[in-house]
Amino acid sequence: MLKLDHIRKTFGSYNAVDDLSLEIKQGEIFALLGPSGCGKSTTLRQIAGLDQPDSGDILLKDKPLFSSSKNIFVPAQKRNMGMVFQSYAIWPHLTVFETVAYPLRLRRWANADIDAAVRAIIKQVGLEGMEDRASPTLSGGQQQRVALARALVYKPDVLLLDEPFSNLDVKLREQMRVELKILQRRVGVSVVLVTHDQSEALSLADRLAVMNAGKIEQIGRPIELYDEPATPFVRDFIGQTTKFATHITNVASNGDASIEIGDRKFPLVGTASSFIRRQAGENVVACIRPERIAVASAAQGHGGNELEGIVETMLFLGDRYECLVQIGGQAILAYVPSSEKLSEGQRVPLAFPKEALTLWPN
Amino acid sequence: MAELKSLDFGGTARAPMFALPKRIRLSTVLCTIVLLTMAFFVLYPVALLVYNSFLVEVPGGKALGLDTWISAWSQPGILQAILNTFQRVIFTELISFPLAVVIAWLVMRTDIPGKRLIENFFWIAFFLPALPVLMGWILLFDPGHGLINLAWMWLFNVPKGPFNIYGFSGIVFAHIAARSVAAKFIFLAPAFRNLDGAMEEASRIAGAGPLTTLRKIVIPVLMPAFLITIAISLIHSLESFEIELILGPTTNFYVFSTKIFQVVREDPPQFGVATVLGLAILISMLPLILWQQRLSHSRNFVTVSSRSTTLPLRLRQWRLPIFTLICLFGGFITIVPVACLLMGTFMNLYGYFDIPKVWTTAHWMAVLSDNTLIASTINTLIMGLSAAIFGTFWFAVVAYISVRTKFKARGALDLMSWLPASIPGIILGLALLWMFLTVPALQGLYGTTAVLVVACILASVSTGVQLIKSNMVQLGNELEEASFIAGGSWFYTFRRIVLPLVGPVLIAVALLTFASAARNVAGIAMLVSGDNRPLAMLQADYMIDGAFEPAAVVGVLIVLLALTMSIIARYIGGRVGLTAITRKKDL
Repeated sequence: MLKLDHIRKTFGSYNAVDDLSLEIKQGEIFALLGPSGCGKSTTLRQIAGLDQPDSGDILLKDKPLFSSSKNIFVPAQKRNMGMVFQSYAIWPHLTVFETVAYPLRLRRWANADIDAAVRAIIKQVGLEGMEDRASPTLSGGQQQRVALARALVYKPDVLLLDEPFSNLDVKLREQMRVELKILQRRVGVSVVLVTHDQSEALSLADRLAVMNAGKIEQIGRPIELYDEPATPFVRDFIGQTTKFATHITNVASNGDASIEIGDRKFPLVGTASSFIRRQAGENVVACIRPERIAVASAAQGHGGNELEGIVETMLFLGDRYECLVQIGGQAILAYVPSSEKLSEGQRVPLAFPKEALTLWPN
Repeated sequence: MAELKSLDFGGTARAPMFALPKRIRLSTVLCTIVLLTMAFFVLYPVALLVYNSFLVEVPGGKALGLDTWISAWSQPGILQAILNTFQRVIFTELISFPLAVVIAWLVMRTDIPGKRLIENFFWIAFFLPALPVLMGWILLFDPGHGLINLAWMWLFNVPKGPFNIYGFSGIVFAHIAARSVAAKFIFLAPAFRNLDGAMEEASRIAGAGPLTTLRKIVIPVLMPAFLITIAISLIHSLESFEIELILGPTTNFYVFSTKIFQVVREDPPQFGVATVLGLAILISMLPLILWQQRLSHSRNFVTVSSRSTTLPLRLRQWRLPIFTLICLFGGFITIVPVACLLMGTFMNLYGYFDIPKVWTTAHWMAVLSDNTLIASTINTLIMGLSAAIFGTFWFAVVAYISVRTKFKARGALDLMSWLPASIPGIILGLALLWMFLTVPALQGLYGTTAVLVVACILASVSTGVQLIKSNMVQLGNELEEASFIAGGSWFYTFRRIVLPLVGPVLIAVALLTFASAARNVAGIAMLVSGDNRPLAMLQADYMIDGAFEPAAVVGVLIVLLALTMSIIARYIGGRVGLTAITRKKDL
């Protein structure tokens, strides 16, 4: 429905957006995830019409919003999009009602219709009874709801969210995520969400794109990006990963590669990614997610990929411990259920499932 | 794409396409029109001044030459006047700047009571016309008859009081007590208000006391705002005129601007020499203007963040003493001179308390029964209101272009808004006179109030544009962008978002323009004829004739007019602007 085609934008010699193409489907929540300065906000502003790409095409429902070749630029006010800004951009001189009614007054709706539509959306975002409050007197969470109501009241084709939850505290942030998802499913609007917070992107998005240095590293469903990262950047950016440098000692006929860990040359078998040559003697980086490592009683019966380590530190997080385990000088992060009775300095067995231990180029 | 149908929200998407070059052309055209208009009213008069300064009388006509430039610098006392100017400016700034910084900090960053009252004091001091206020001070500090001196003589039984308003120290005092501190306070207060309180708290937690925090954190962080305030007051201080004109000559103390006035008043008036001297000020101001432009463009600005929730510094036992001290100062620079002026209008002989019959209402009777008063009042109202309305609109447009657009010539536009302030009013008036006489399309306007309105708008353009700009800079871009996204056109956004948000400052600027138009003498002296003479000119005419008493009466009327306008404006501002909604919050 919304299509970006070979978008480029440079600021001086710096490539903010570098030949970016993506397509957002009707009714989905699409997240642009990346570190600050990766070009995600610039991309969003280009979709909104607040910034112009240097070249490329942006199409909404097959109609061009921007086209460098056809010399078309539809200004922001003609694009029928909604946007929630990071600062919320709540106008301090208007009441909640007038703030939300603003886009409708612009569209010359009849007063009765405005009244009904505004009250309905204010109720939906949970601000009933606050219609006449001055916007600056609201709390951060309430201001954000006002911003959301203002962006949705005129039923935009696309809702753009620029780091919408970054100014809220953790509890409120989680609550707003749930509410946003419910609201979005009910209204059916397509959403483009820009965030640097991976848990926000993973939990909210139907699909997401990880961006780095103006380029898209990988697009897919959250679970795909988490389980099968296509690039080292995505692997490191999303979720926790323990990495250690090693080399391949042997490659089996089924493709399993054996490596060594630490200075004590424990043998381990891992899955080689498609990036490496799979040759004995090749230097590689071995990676594993901490929650995939089985520790202590869970480590039984993994068929050979077991080692013994020493618990170095334990962080108690309520539902689990985050343990740093030493194996031959290499620290490995693992999650242990809080029901396991472990103590620091203790020897524990660890199991590395073969499919979870991936080998990457050095 | 079947699912599209059910999810398409009833055709609210409007799809008129705007081709890229067309869009650019439209806004560029508008900006260019503004630029050209500004250039016509600013650059053309300046060009006329430059041209005329090189005209020399030769047998049978005029020719180009350097004679005027040479004779200007051989005027007697001109070097002394330059020296005096610098001395006066340095002494005034050294006292008033630290004072303004401390007061602004106390009002904005501590829990001092009566913040509104204190702010009002400084706004009023800023609005008060210089001439009437000066008359109030003369009543108190005249060496022979001043009330304070008389009291001192009676109290200590000495033949002579210690104060003398005439001369250097009197002039420096009058500047500090008139607008010098007030103007700086008004420019500095927003910067202090918007400072992120966490910076101060971090310093205090690190172990620094309030004064150390002020010195090591607040002042360095606000340095850009300070430098700009200093630059602005330096630019304005050289055009200052009335105070030196009244207080200087008796002790033969001339500054550059009064020297120019002296040259113009000679018989025959030496306009050429005066023009050269005026241009000299303009040229010496240019580096300062460019410097402050560079300062404002370096993005080191403290901008409005989200609402600051930090508590102000607690003054504890110092709270009331400091409040009292500031209020005394505020009252001293506003209520005292106005009260003295009012008293003076009821005196038989202005400032003389030691004559048999001191009090009379004869001056009020005489002035009020004079037909010229009503005509002058009407002229002032028409002139002041037109200047305030058209001027403020114009300033807002110029400020918006130079802050908010990417118009290529916005720097030039900004620079032009500075030029009128750096030309002495009387010279600018002369240039306008030439302009209205030489441009055929404008000749019909000569002698009408329209000419005075143009002069008054030009006299306020620098301050007005600067005040609005500093306010617009602090509005986050996102407030406007949110409106664009919601479907608002540029004009709709300007009307419903930008205008209300900068409303309070626009009202302040309109007031300022009105007040400065109502008191303007220097800028319009060359343009006034019998028909369009406003009150301020009437007062000046009385003073020049030595009639201080009716001059004081007219002065009181001007002050009343300015105060009435400010009350009306505050009332309107309270109903439509930002204040209305914050008031609601307080309830």
